[in-house]
Amino acid sequence: MKDQVGGTQKRARFQALCQSLRPDLLRFALWLSRDRALAEDVVQETLLRAWKSQDSLQDEAAAKPWFLTIIRREYARSFERKRFVTVDVDELVAREEPMLAAADQQDLGELRAALFKLPEEYREPLVLQVLMGLSTAEIARELGLSNAAVLTRLFRARRRLRAMCGVDTSMDPPE
Amino acid sequence: MMDCAGYRKTLLADPHAADPALLLHRAGCHDCGLFTEQLLRFESRLERALRVPVPPGLAPVSAQVVPLRRPSPRRKWWAMAASVVAAGVVAGGLWLGASGSSLAADVVTHMGGEPQAWRRTDVPVPDAELRGVLQDSHISLAADAGVVSYANSCSFRGNQVPHLVIQTASGPVTVMVLLHEHVARSKRFDEQGYRGVIVPVAGHGSLAVLTRGASVDSAAVERIARRVQEAIVY
Repeated sequence: MKDQVGGTQKRARFQALCQSLRPDLLRFALWLSRDRALAEDVVQETLLRAWKSQDSLQDEAAAKPWFLTIIRREYARSFERKRFVTVDVDELVAREEPMLAAADQQDLGELRAALFKLPEEYREPLVLQVLMGLSTAEIARELGLSNAAVLTRLFRARRRLRAMCGVDTSMDPPE
Repeated sequence: MMDCAGYRKTLLADPHAADPALLLHRAGCHDCGLFTEQLLRFESRLERALRVPVPPGLAPVSAQVVPLRRPSPRRKWWAMAASVVAAGVVAGGLWLGASGSSLAADVVTHMGGEPQAWRRTDVPVPDAELRGVLQDSHISLAADAGVVSYANSCSFRGNQVPHLVIQTASGPVTVMVLLHEHVARSKRFDEQGYRGVIVPVAGHGSLAVLTRGASVDSAAVERIARRVQEAIVY
């Protein structure tokens, strides 16, 4: 009986954890895939896998990197399943136009479109840092890179993004 | 000694980096100060841009795992488990939408609801009133914290949090003691005319400190935040 109550409480806590992380997981998947439908599929699969293996999450404080690892794996699996060929970025931007320039956030549309056009090697660490709040070391672990490589990618990501958005980059150092 | 190119390269990789060598360079370099301000404004936009609106809930997860034929006990268990997740996701949809916005954005939005707090004054809030607000959160304030001209226990993200205004030489500074909001590291923001920082407080959530207008630069806000942090007794 006691075990049953403990199990119920544990499941409720895990469910609350899924709920609180889901919006950012969905955003992360979206910036990774640049496809809302695919992002929703990936997150749905991620939540199911997480649910099945919740016992392997020992420390709730480490939940975010744990979920991110699953989501990246699921995203990679979606490639295996669908065998994407080429990606026309302008087409992607046009397809996701309603989301990129939401009615109350039209000032952000240009920046979001620029993010879509940023190569994945720069976009992913940037999203992990700014949206998911990961430190350089955490990003390095997640992506299997050195800290220095992560910092170089982040530097290039911002530099390119600013240039794409017409920000005055006269004070930016060269690459 | 760090040069301008090194400073800017480091900051472009991490605009919230707070290495002492960076702070030292910024304090003595006007151009890099301007560069930092411009970069932080861009960073604030970038954060908002990444927080795209998300739908309140997903299609029921159970729809994918419940087979059309009679489920085996094992499959049935997974379907039930998935349904619990899905039900939670759907039921929590509206709440999720609200909690999806950034902490900094929520703090700034909260400021708009209490504009009267920002007046510059030498008149402190009555001791009993201040004590009451702080006691609600089981904290106290050192006597040398400065003149506290406003104190209110505010509802913020589902919790009651102390909202204080402390008068400093640089003008009024708003402090929100966010015991329930945990952040991994300091985060500066410059949004809608408010400039501030959210700093983690080990074991006690975080602290949001912000000023209004362009008269106080980000470095000064951080100095003020450190002083305020030292003055709060948890």
